Amino acid sequence: MTDLSRKNFLRFLAASLGSLYLSGCMDQDKFLSRSGLPEKITPTPFSPGTENTAEVESTVEPAESAIQESSATPNPIFPDLVVARQGDPEEMVRAAVTALGGMGRFVKPGDVVVVKPNICTSYHSYEYAATTNPWVVGAVVKLALEAGAKQVKVMDYPFGGTAEQAYQISGIQSEVEKAGGKMVVMSNIKFIETAIPDGKDLRSARIYDDVLRANVLINVPIAKHHELARLTLAMKNLMGVIYNRPYMHANLGQRLADLSTRVRSHLVIVDAVRMLMAHGPTGGNLADVKKADTIIASPDIIAADSYAATLYGIDPEQLGYIKKGVQMGLGIKNLNKLNIKEINLG
Amino acid sequence: MAKRGKPDNKGISPAQWVKIRKISQVVFFLIFLALFFWSRREFYLNPSLESGFTEKLVNIPLKLDPLVMIAQAIASRKILRGSMLAIFTLFLTFFLGRVWCGWFCPMGTILEWIPIRSWKKNQPSVAEWFRGIKYVLLMVILFSAIFTNLTLLFLDPLTIGYRTLTTAIWPGLDKIVTFVELQLIRVPFLSAAVGGFDSLIRPMIFPAHPAFYRYGLLYSGFFISLILLNSFAPRFWCRYLCPLGGLLGLLGKVSLVGCEITTSCSTCGKCVPACPTGAIKDQDKVFCDPGECTMCMVCAENCPGDAVKFPFKISKFLRQPYDIERRKVLLSMGATAVGVGLLETNIAGQVFAPSPIRPPGVMNERLLSTCIRCGECSTVCPTNAIQMAVFDGGVEGFWTPIIVPRIGYCDYSCQACGQVCPVEAIPPLSLEEKRKQIIGKAHIDQDRCLPWAENQECIVCEEMCPIPEKAIELELVEVPDGEGGIKILQRPVVIRHLCIGCGICENKCPVSGEAAIQIKVPSAGNQNGHNHHGWQ
Repeated sequence: MTDLSRKNFLRFLAASLGSLYLSGCMDQDKFLSRSGLPEKITPTPFSPGTENTAEVESTVEPAESAIQESSATPNPIFPDLVVARQGDPEEMVRAAVTALGGMGRFVKPGDVVVVKPNICTSYHSYEYAATTNPWVVGAVVKLALEAGAKQVKVMDYPFGGTAEQAYQISGIQSEVEKAGGKMVVMSNIKFIETAIPDGKDLRSARIYDDVLRANVLINVPIAKHHELARLTLAMKNLMGVIYNRPYMHANLGQRLADLSTRVRSHLVIVDAVRMLMAHGPTGGNLADVKKADTIIASPDIIAADSYAATLYGIDPEQLGYIKKGVQMGLGIKNLNKLNIKEINLG
Repeated sequence: MAKRGKPDNKGISPAQWVKIRKISQVVFFLIFLALFFWSRREFYLNPSLESGFTEKLVNIPLKLDPLVMIAQAIASRKILRGSMLAIFTLFLTFFLGRVWCGWFCPMGTILEWIPIRSWKKNQPSVAEWFRGIKYVLLMVILFSAIFTNLTLLFLDPLTIGYRTLTTAIWPGLDKIVTFVELQLIRVPFLSAAVGGFDSLIRPMIFPAHPAFYRYGLLYSGFFISLILLNSFAPRFWCRYLCPLGGLLGLLGKVSLVGCEITTSCSTCGKCVPACPTGAIKDQDKVFCDPGECTMCMVCAENCPGDAVKFPFKISKFLRQPYDIERRKVLLSMGATAVGVGLLETNIAGQVFAPSPIRPPGVMNERLLSTCIRCGECSTVCPTNAIQMAVFDGGVEGFWTPIIVPRIGYCDYSCQACGQVCPVEAIPPLSLEEKRKQIIGKAHIDQDRCLPWAENQECIVCEEMCPIPEKAIELELVEVPDGEGGIKILQRPVVIRHLCIGCGICENKCPVSGEAAIQIKVPSAGNQNGHNHHGWQ
């Protein structure tokens, strides 16, 4: 190695380090579209049928607010919430989504769709009702692809065990891959510090990049018992897309509602095929599992969670995150005000 | 291997032999690395793997290591399946000399390949008797194995390789790659590319979430000092210190094929400084000590007159001044007995110091007499729960595996450590059995626990508990809500007989610093079979 080349090498190194440093200094919010603020929620009622098309195609930002608003007033054409019972999981999902207006209402051709099931641990298979039913997830993936989605990514961030193993043990990996979707292992570096401008208590969090960038987020929780939240449903399921979860537990209700203002679920499908009645969220005892053969689908996360709470005989008002979510204007919890369609496939 | 018979002018030239040897070094080094990454990846994908194939494959290097296998067999009084592979290495050495050191050993490869400037310029100024150190170390290791002590196996080159890779090189690289990725992902036009790159390398090469090992500086410092010793003499470690080199050297002295300086030697002396282990001496005549020769063939390459040959012959044990003699053997035996004895008198340390939390199914005493300190358990542990002890388990437990729950919990669906352990120091258990192993018990510190000490809501430990019946219960209590009223609060209580000590509660406890719930090993006489006195 001659002196000259070494000097040049050092120069090059210094230059590249310098530019790296400078790029690191840039204000992210100004440069990254994904860190741009979500559109403000406006109280104007939304006309059905035109949903999210315009926004989705014009910008990489997920058009959260569009769907959000659609649930702000009861929808005259489509039901606000559909409950399907007594079928096999895929049938029920298909029936419920069809009754809501079909997956095409949420997913446009070419969309990138993220499906977020609850795969909390790698401990038990789906029979124990600690993770979302694999056929429900598979059906959602199929529907999204049938609606023309470019790619359907399925992901969760298990708190117990490795994601790879949890995907296998839950049975979700095989159903998703059969359906043509892609299981994504969430990587540390893609949790991006993101502002939550509408949050009251949680003002920013490290949120998973793929979720923020997706055109459509379909939230597919399983209905489970949980000691602090009482139930873990769709809003609680979103904890899987952020990095620092123990932090959420203080003031859980408000922080979950805050998170939902930034990470909007365009469609919520609550899996109550098998419900975990006690010892959640990890489960492991078949005696705690109740077979209910029910699927709840709604674009309104509060409505879906509220309905699911009634399956446990719990007044939605008693769930902190529903209460806070309603205060934040995220949806409607009063089931009497909703246009609910019930389908019995039995 | 590729090398058989003697090189001659008609066949492969010495320079070509050296080239072949270098290729062999690189290939075996890469195989060593590949097995390392592969073990990590396989168990990460499926921590409850029970195929029997993966762990057999990844353990081949260690099973080929005769020092580890002999010492382990002596100390544990048990001959392991697969340890016969070590006999292959012994045979190879008997036929071809220390080819292990020159052709295969990954440690030797690193020490030969990492350039330290003064190599060729300075003649080694290290006294010849230093070469005796490796034999003394060998004797001490084997004698202390008789007393069931394996502490010094941390000096075996392969265990050094595994430990350093696991705890320093690999996580360090991961940190650097992550740092660069995090910087680049913020550049708008690069973020997609970085994301794609990231999904290529994770979880195949690096974990999706950063691995963390305590004392990375200690491990890398140890390793770096071995490399820096090269500045005193080329392959310093291999020449003077390596106990495995000592074992193979003793056998290599009578090997059937060996380096010989023939009578056509012009005594130009070019081979003497060229030899990377200084095996060639120029005393009355130029000759090669087969106990030090690693069959690297650099001498033949450097010989202007084609005088270095590798003939097949029966050689007799050629004694060198630094070779271990009867007096030294007896001395190291005595010193070892005294040393191990003194270690065992440390009753105070053994009884009153907190017992370290061991991986599932491990009996402390048995672990000390079986563990070879390779750290493979730590490599495959998907949660980083298994860390290497420094003095946590007493001096004799140096670099044995312990569980540090605050760093990682013992995954309820994982049994990787027991499967991968090459010497069954961590017993291979079925997942069902492993889930019943009690490695400790959780204890709540009520002065720090949020609901106990501060009347704050928190149930993380209960939520995380993997036991189907939950080994943590929540008591309902009425507490002042701070605004004059009262509120109902849930407070965690450990159900002792259900707790298996997996430590996920301690790991996830949101209290900063030490967790408010901690795993402690139950007192003596427990299922872990702690026996504080004497050698089993």
